[in-house]
Amino acid sequence: MFVNLLVSGLANGAVYALVALGLVVVYKATAVVNFAHGEGFMLAGLLAYSLYVLAGLPYGLALPAAVAGACLLGMLTERLAFRPLIRASVVSLVLATTGLSFVLKGIARQVWGGRGSDLAFPPVVAFQPLQIGELILTGQSLVVMGGAVATMLLFLLFFRYTLLGKMMRATAENQRAAALVGIRVERISTITWGVGVALGGVAAVLAAPLTLLYPDMGGPLLIRAFAAALLGGMGSLAGAVLGGLCLGVAENLAGGYVDTSVTEVAPFFLIILVLLLRPQGFLGRPEVVKV
Amino acid sequence: MGGLARPLTLLPVLLALAVLAPAVLNPYLRFVVTLFFIYAVVALGLNLLLGYAGQFAFANAAFFGWGAYATSLLQLRLDLPFVLALPLGALLTAGVGALVGLPALRLRGLYLAIVTLAFGEVTYWAMIHWAGLTGGASGLKAPAPDFTALGIPQGLGMYYLCLAMAVLLYAAAWGIVHSRVGRAFVAVRDFEVAAQALSVNLTRAKTAAFVLSAFYAGVAGGLHSATLRFVAPESFDLFQMVLQFAMVVVGGLGSVLGSALGAALVLGLRESLRAAVATQEILFGGLLIVCIVFLPRGLVSLLRWPGSPWIERLHWEPRRRGREVATWPLSP
Repeated sequence: MFVNLLVSGLANGAVYALVALGLVVVYKATAVVNFAHGEGFMLAGLLAYSLYVLAGLPYGLALPAAVAGACLLGMLTERLAFRPLIRASVVSLVLATTGLSFVLKGIARQVWGGRGSDLAFPPVVAFQPLQIGELILTGQSLVVMGGAVATMLLFLLFFRYTLLGKMMRATAENQRAAALVGIRVERISTITWGVGVALGGVAAVLAAPLTLLYPDMGGPLLIRAFAAALLGGMGSLAGAVLGGLCLGVAENLAGGYVDTSVTEVAPFFLIILVLLLRPQGFLGRPEVVKV
Repeated sequence: MGGLARPLTLLPVLLALAVLAPAVLNPYLRFVVTLFFIYAVVALGLNLLLGYAGQFAFANAAFFGWGAYATSLLQLRLDLPFVLALPLGALLTAGVGALVGLPALRLRGLYLAIVTLAFGEVTYWAMIHWAGLTGGASGLKAPAPDFTALGIPQGLGMYYLCLAMAVLLYAAAWGIVHSRVGRAFVAVRDFEVAAQALSVNLTRAKTAAFVLSAFYAGVAGGLHSATLRFVAPESFDLFQMVLQFAMVVVGGLGSVLGSALGAALVLGLRESLRAAVATQEILFGGLLIVCIVFLPRGLVSLLRWPGSPWIERLHWEPRRRGREVATWPLSP
C-alpha cells in the first residue's frame, strides 16, 4: 500500500511540479504571482478535450495545440492584466489576475458547461498495468511522470542554453542591466508569461486522462502550485519541482492513511505551516528587506 | 474633521429616504435594500483592512461565513436569543480575525494574500465536511429573529435592524478612520518603518485592523443568515471574496462612502441581472480588472469636484511597487 501511494503521489506531484514551475518562472521574472495560473491549466485541459475527443485530432497534434493555446493565454494575460499595471501595487496586480481567473472560469463554464459537470478524457495509452511485487504501475501514470520529467529537462535546457532562455534569465536577474545590453525587456516579459502558463498547459494535457475536467479545477490547482512553490522556496525553480513532488506524496499519504477528504486540505495546511515556520522554504533565500 | 461639514448636510436626507423607503418598496425590493445594508457593512470592514491598513487578506468571505454560522448555531445549539447571538457571533468572528491577523505580523503583500487564501479555503472545506455541526453542503435553516414584540412583520423588522446596524457601523468607521487609530492604519499601509518611527505599534495596528474587519464581517454574516433564514457554504466561497473585492475597488479603496457605493453597484448589478453563474463570473471578474486598470481610485474619486456634496479625505494612492520593477519601462 505504501509503495503504491508513494508512486501515485509522485505522479500527482509531477503535475504539481510542472504547474508550480510555471508559476515560479513568472514570479522570478516579474515578482508577481499570476492568480489566473490555475485557469490556464484548466483551459489547456478543456482545449485538449475539444481537439482530441470532440474534433478527433490525433494526440500528437491536439497536445501541442492545447499547449500553444495556454501559451497564448499567458501572453494575453501579460498584456491585459500585468502590463497596464506595471507600476501599480502588488494588491492591484493580484486583484487583476484574480478577476481574470473568474472571467476565464466563466468563459469555460459557458463554452464547456452543459455536457454534464465533469468531462472525462480517455486514456491515451492502453497497455496493461505493470505489476512489480505489490507495486502496480498504470500506463497513464508512467506517461505523466515521463512526460513531466521530459518537459522539465527540455525547459531546463531551454532556460540555460538557448539565447531566449538566457535573455529571460538576464531579465529576471536585473531588468535595467538587461535593457542596457539591448534586451527588449517588455517582449521578454510577454514571452515569460507565455512560457509559464504553457508549462501549466503541458501538465494539464498530461494529467487530463487521470482526472476529470471541469471549470472549477483551476482554483485547487493554483493552491497546490502555491504550496509547492512555497515549500521549495518561492523563486527557486528546483525548489518548485521538489516542493511539487513532496506535496504530491504527502497529500497521497495523508489521503491513504487518514481520510480521503484530507487530501483536499493538506496543501492549505502545508502553506500555513511553511509560511509561519520557514517562509523561505527548502531552497529559497530568506527575503531581506532593505530600507 | 473639516471634511465632515458638507457630508452632514447630505446624510440626513439619505437617512430620511432610507427610513421612509419601505412605505413605497415592494417586499422584493425591500429585501434587496436589506441585503445592500448588509453588504455595505462587509465592504466597509474589508475597506478598513485593505484600503486603510493595507493588509491584503483573502479571509473576509470566511469571516462573513463565521459570523453567519456562529450566529445561527448559537441560536440553534445553545438556544440563545438573536439579540445575544448576533453580538456574540460577531465577537467570536473578531477573535478569529485576531488569530488570522497573527501571520500578518510576519508576512506581507503576496505571502499574506496566499496564507489568508488558504485560511479561507480551510474554512470553506470545514463548512462542507463538518456536516454534524454545519449541516454540510446543503447548509442549515437559520432561525429568524422575532419582531412580534415590536408589532412589525419580520421582513420590515430585518430592514430596520440592518439599517440601524449599518448606520451605527458607518458612524463608528468614520470616527475610527479620523482618529489616531485610523491614521496609524494609513501609516502602516504606506510605510511600515516610517510608521514605527512615528511610534505606531505595528502589532497593535495590524491586529486592530484584522479584528475590526472580522467584526464588521461577523455582524454582517449574522444579519445575512437572519435575513435569508438560511446558511450554506457556497455563500462564502472564493467568488464571494471576488464580489467583496469588486465592491471596495469599484467604490474606492480607502474611502468610507466608497464601500457603500461599491456595495450598491455590485449588488444592484447582481440582483438586476440575476444571471447564470458563468455570466456573473465574467461580469464581476471583468469589472474588477477594468476598475483596477481604468479607475484605480474608484467611483468615489469621481465625486471630487468643487462644490461636491461629499468631501472625504481619500486614503488610497495606487502606489508604485519595489525599486527593481518600478524602473522597468525605461523607454517611454
